Amino acid sequence: MIRFVLADLRRLWAASLVIVLLVALATALGVAVTLQERALRLGSARAADKFDLIVGAPGSETQLVLSSVFLQPAALPLMSGDVLTRLTADRRVAWAAPIGFGDNFSGYPIVGTTTALVKGTTTGFTGGRMFALEGEAVVGSGVDLAIGAEVKPMHGAAGEGGETHADSAYTVVGKLQPTGTAWDRAILVPIQAVWHIHGLGEDHHEDEAHEEAGGEEHHHGHIDADAPLVEDFSHDVPGLPAVLVKPKTIADAYALRQAYRAEGGTRAVFPAEVLTSLYATLGDARTVLMYVAYGAQALVAAALMLIAVIHVAQRRRQIGALRAFGAPRLAVFGIVWLELLLLVGIGVGAGFAVGYGAAEFLAGLFTAQSGVRLPVEFSHSDALMAAAFLAVAALMAALPAALAYRQSPVEALRA
Amino acid sequence: MLPLALSDVAISFPGLAEPVLAIDALSIPAGGRLAVTGASGSGKSTFVNLISGLTRPDRGTIAWRDTDIATLSESGRDRWRAANVGLVMQEFHLFPGLAAIDNVLLPARLAHAATAEVKTRALDLLARVGLSRPGQSVETMSRGEMQRVAVARALLRRPGVIIADEPTASLDAEAGAEVGRLLIELADQEGATLIVVSHDERLTERLGRRIRLAAGRVVSDTALEAAR
Repeated sequence: MIRFVLADLRRLWAASLVIVLLVALATALGVAVTLQERALRLGSARAADKFDLIVGAPGSETQLVLSSVFLQPAALPLMSGDVLTRLTADRRVAWAAPIGFGDNFSGYPIVGTTTALVKGTTTGFTGGRMFALEGEAVVGSGVDLAIGAEVKPMHGAAGEGGETHADSAYTVVGKLQPTGTAWDRAILVPIQAVWHIHGLGEDHHEDEAHEEAGGEEHHHGHIDADAPLVEDFSHDVPGLPAVLVKPKTIADAYALRQAYRAEGGTRAVFPAEVLTSLYATLGDARTVLMYVAYGAQALVAAALMLIAVIHVAQRRRQIGALRAFGAPRLAVFGIVWLELLLLVGIGVGAGFAVGYGAAEFLAGLFTAQSGVRLPVEFSHSDALMAAAFLAVAALMAALPAALAYRQSPVEALRA
Repeated sequence: MLPLALSDVAISFPGLAEPVLAIDALSIPAGGRLAVTGASGSGKSTFVNLISGLTRPDRGTIAWRDTDIATLSESGRDRWRAANVGLVMQEFHLFPGLAAIDNVLLPARLAHAATAEVKTRALDLLARVGLSRPGQSVETMSRGEMQRVAVARALLRRPGVIIADEPTASLDAEAGAEVGRLLIELADQEGATLIVVSHDERLTERLGRRIRLAAGRVVSDTALEAAR
């Protein structure tokens, strides 16, 4: 029977190919949506994994997470530098590090921070070493700069036009191992350099919103490239957009969040919690897209039924002859059923491959832009989805097969 | 080989007052030869359908030895036909894309009856009908060769009866003569009863007996002297 089915499909290869393509595309649509949504969820969760607690000025919690964890350019309000002073002194805190934005270089955000953050959120260096002077920089694995390269910071967020800080430059001294987060695309410099370059720190311009790109009234300073690294935040800390806090225990994390949420002038968020609410939105989008995919699949299924029924009608003579020459009715049913199921099966298989490829491609584009690595992977539920597709196909293929089964050979041959 | 006995058989089609075919009594001994002639619409095809179990009569018995196929279910008649009847039709009903040998074996394979012995026999039959290339694809064959493949297919499962419906009508004279000769020769060798519906005088005159149908009735039944 298989041999006959294969010979038949080979003879009708063009039509078979079209059917396989239709099924593959409809399947790929659903698979790509499912895989991509899962990849976004897993990827963003992994990217936020090292970011236990973020403290910032009151404002949008979502924006605070997007800007600090995903380094999305945005003007964050500043909070008083005293917050960092108090956090570093807090017994419940393992380490706390400032995150200062504002400049970029060739589209890479320049982030001012501390050695504690670099050590705490990365797995180490692939080359070079940690910054030790004010004019030294460490780059993420996704930054296309070699050790020794010079970085002239541009004022303003990545992607926006901005003036250069003409007299200031960093030297790349280390390259980090990949982390699969947005920070892979960041140039990390000592926070004191960011303060100095914007004329902060010594002059206590704590209220200045230094993120506002294009503002004309900046007190431009410059970095002292050979100044030693100072990571003492016990007094006179300038205003800050965000502080990453590593609490000692989970209980400490909740206590800290409570403390800095209640307090005026600050806001404390668990990025994981903010992401969870984003996932709900993502899930809604996925649901909508899945209904679109289901609609496409239903259309393809209906078209396939039409093709199958017409095909059986066109081949009544052949089917009648099979019966007349001694093929059992069940064999006739089996041939039609198997041919359809085989085509749908190949289509579903190809659809999973195409869907996976499409999701990988989109994830690649996303990673190139944001630095966040999206893991495109199948799970058990996908096997269930494939099984469900095939089960529906098996049921639907039974209809034309039953038509062939019921057809009288005499009437078929008389035509 | 199977003997056939029809008695009181009649079949009508909806909307027609007269039965399309009515045969009070007809019998053929095991291994007998019968030619059936008649104008188109005389009931020849209905006759073939009835005795091969493709259709069931409204009444009467169609007994092949001890089996009255008029009482069998549709699937039962399918099974009986597969095991007992070798059918050759005007149209060859070969399946394009399959080799000659695969066409011969197809019905047996679909019925899960293609044993090693059956496969050997298929090759042997192809040789006996004069086809030397069993792997040849049927769509590359001449019409005469195609009908010879169909004859080999009909004989595969050692049927007790060979029923041929206008086996030479779509062939040229030479190929038709060859197929007619093969049918008679193989029926002899295999010891099968042979029933041929045909207009082809050169074929029917070589069979032992001829009945003529008109308007669904047997109007003449002649024993032919010149058989063989």
